[in-house]
Amino acid sequence: MPKVLEIKEPYPPGDFAIWIVIYIELLTFGLFFIGYAFSRRLNVQMFNDSQLFLDKTAGFIDTLILITSSYFIVKAIQSIKNSNRSDISISSIVASKWLLATMIFGGIFLINKLLEFSDIFSQGFSLSSNMFFMFYFLLTMFHFMHVLLGIIIIFTIRQKVKILGYGPTDYVGMETGAVYWHLVDLLWIVLFALIYILR
Amino acid sequence: MKKKFEVIWIVLMVLSIFAFLLGYLKLVSSSLVSVLLVSTFLKGQLVIDYFMGLNEVKLKYRIIPTLWLSIVLFLVAAAYYVPVGK
Repeated sequence: MPKVLEIKEPYPPGDFAIWIVIYIELLTFGLFFIGYAFSRRLNVQMFNDSQLFLDKTAGFIDTLILITSSYFIVKAIQSIKNSNRSDISISSIVASKWLLATMIFGGIFLINKLLEFSDIFSQGFSLSSNMFFMFYFLLTMFHFMHVLLGIIIIFTIRQKVKILGYGPTDYVGMETGAVYWHLVDLLWIVLFALIYILR
Repeated sequence: MKKKFEVIWIVLMVLSIFAFLLGYLKLVSSSLVSVLLVSTFLKGQLVIDYFMGLNEVKLKYRIIPTLWLSIVLFLVAAAYYVPVGK
C-alpha cells in the first residue's frame, strides 16, 4: 500500500500574535502551578486541610462546561471552514449559534465561579488566610479574568459572523479567538487537577 | 474520521469524570497522583492537538505547549514524590 504523505501546515491556526500571548500565558500560569506544588511541600497538612473547604463538584462542573464550550467553538469554525460561497449565509447562522452556545457556557462558568467564591468568602477565607487560599484565589481569579476576556472576544467574533464577515477561505480571526478559548480550557484542566483533586 | 471532534469531546469528559471520582471518593493516594497527572497530560494533549489544531502544523509549533505541559506536570510530580529534606 503506498504511503500517504501528510503535509503539515507551516504556521499554527489563527494570527501569529495570539501564539506569543499564549506562550506568555502558559509561562505565567506554569510558574504559578509549580509555585503551588512546591509551596505545598512546606506545609502539606495545611494544604490538604484547606483543600477540603473547596467544592470539588463545582470544580468538576466547571471542567465539563469549559471542555464542552471548547467543543462548541470547534464546531463554529468547522461550520465556516467547510462551507461553500453559495451557502455562507446558512453556515454563518449555524456558526453564530455555536458561538452563542460557547458564550452561554462561558457565562455559566463565571456564575458558578462567583457562587463558589461567595461560598468560600462566607466561610471566612480570603487571599490572606493562608498560602493555600492565596494560590487558590490568585489562580482562579486570574483564570476568571481570562474567561471573561474570552467571552468578550467570542462576542466580537460572533458580531462579525452575523454580517457574513468570515468565509471558507477567510476565518483566521475566528481561529485566533478559538485558540485563546482553548488556552483557557487547557489552563483549567491543569488547575482543576492541581488545586481541587491532588492531595 | 468523520466524528473526530465528538470522540475527542467524549474522551475528555470521561477523563474528567475519572479525575473527579478519584478526588470525590478520596482515592488520591501517592500512587494515584501519577495516574491523575498522566490523565491530566492526556486531556491537555488532546486539547493541544485537536481543539487547538496543532497536530496539523509543523512540530516546532506543536512541541512548545506539549513541552510546557510535560515540564509543569513533571515538576508537580517531583514536588509530590521527592521527600522534603530535613
